Amino acid sequence: MAELPRPLPLPDRDTAPFWEAMNARELRFQRCSGCGAFRYPLGPLCPACRSFDFQWVASTGRGHVYSYTVVQHQTHPAFPAPYTVLLVEMEEGPRVVARLRDSNGRVEVGAAVRVDWEDAGGQLLPVFELEGGQS
Amino acid sequence: MSIRNKAAIVGIGQTEFSKDSGRSTLRLALEAILQALDDAGLQPKDVDGIVKMRANDDLFEIDLLRSLDLPNLRFFSEIPHGGGAACGTVAHAVAAVTSGMADVVVTFRSLNERSERRFGESAMGGRVGGWMQYTLPQGLVTPAQWIAMFAQRYLYEYGHTTEEFGRVSVLCRKHAATNPHAMMYERPVTLEEHQESRWISEPLRLLDCCLDTDGACAAVVVSAERAKSLKGVPAYIAAAAQGTGSQAEMMTSYQRDNIARLEEAEATALDLYRTAELEPKDIDVAEIYDHFTPMVLMALEAYGFAAPGKAPELFRDGRLELDGEMPLNTHGGHLGEGYLHGFGHIVEGVRQIRGAAVNQARDVSTCLVTSGTGVPTSGLILSREAY
Repeated sequence: MAELPRPLPLPDRDTAPFWEAMNARELRFQRCSGCGAFRYPLGPLCPACRSFDFQWVASTGRGHVYSYTVVQHQTHPAFPAPYTVLLVEMEEGPRVVARLRDSNGRVEVGAAVRVDWEDAGGQLLPVFELEGGQS
Repeated sequence: MSIRNKAAIVGIGQTEFSKDSGRSTLRLALEAILQALDDAGLQPKDVDGIVKMRANDDLFEIDLLRSLDLPNLRFFSEIPHGGGAACGTVAHAVAAVTSGMADVVVTFRSLNERSERRFGESAMGGRVGGWMQYTLPQGLVTPAQWIAMFAQRYLYEYGHTTEEFGRVSVLCRKHAATNPHAMMYERPVTLEEHQESRWISEPLRLLDCCLDTDGACAAVVVSAERAKSLKGVPAYIAAAAQGTGSQAEMMTSYQRDNIARLEEAEATALDLYRTAELEPKDIDVAEIYDHFTPMVLMALEAYGFAAPGKAPELFRDGRLELDGEMPLNTHGGHLGEGYLHGFGHIVEGVRQIRGAAVNQARDVSTCLVTSGTGVPTSGLILSREAY
């Protein structure tokens, strides 16, 4: 168990541009060219209008906490407990899962957050910070 | 055409539940299946169908074929997404025996979940694809952690506290305490003990999480016509259904409009009540999948026993106790009896219909059995009469 590394995303043909952009510190979503709907998780077809056409749109990086958990019981060697994982509803609508940077930070549903980045060994991954440091 | 009461569960089998079975999952499965066939008055040569669940195991129908020497196996299927599949195996069996694709279908679940492969211990390293690429790299790696997001939002939406989760735990452990088969036999818990149990992944505590169990269960499904010529009391299948919800993932369907409700269970409920031509008030006893306490509350709402956010009230006036109007998880469920990914609930449902349960509810004509939530799910309504 001690050897187990942090899991990393396995990019596929639908998701590779998302993870590549992250390495340039950009959180981006697919936006349907047919109906304008944001699409996340990523996929080849718009479930609203069934168009295959889309553009990548950079997120503002801002959102609010929709839900969260504080993991107290450690189950994976790459994730020392405690740590807080947020489910953040971004301004564009999609909900993104990422950790709160401050592992001892308290948070509540509705708190405003912004995205930042952490290096997970060759892949930058999102991490959230509370706006203005408030909770 | 309706499947209502066209098929029945005519045999059930169940090994002991323990922390270490000391034998293989294949052996456990075979013990439960032979017991179920004997219970039904059938032989392995009669079996021409097998439906299994898939999650965290590598036991296939051909392993059973070799061990039991099944010369007539002609229908087999496998249902994904872990505990959501349990009642789905019976649903597939019903489809097979009512369409003529099989005559005698065995369904089962066999696990060394405690001694070999624990769901609660992640072994995921390296690269992960599919929907998990968004969650696992962030340290959401176990079912408790995934479900905690739903639980937190449920508390937020309705202003509840975690004591409401605790009452689910107390009730299941109360029923387990008088079930000698249960891992938590004679070990009830109080609400105070729930509140003092350690955090796993807030807002879930240890006593909000199901047990880890070694054991196996099996059920034999035949047509209602065939059931008439067999020895036992049939549990007629008034309805069997699988259900899905929007933007479905396995335990991380976080993009849907409201994650404080269970769309899959709502869809399954609609299908079940329509097929059975029953309403929630007609259910005499309910065996509700209890992997995590908040999901029981949300499931009770999805199956129509309470309005959204109101399920905690059901636990306050004795309605779900053994002498109440609709006893819940009479065997103790996953929280008290043991965690067989929903199959213990099916076996208990059949016993309640037969009037042969240890914690027997009064005057049981109908029993609702539900399967895992937070995933594509399934359910059954069992009936004493083929109405």
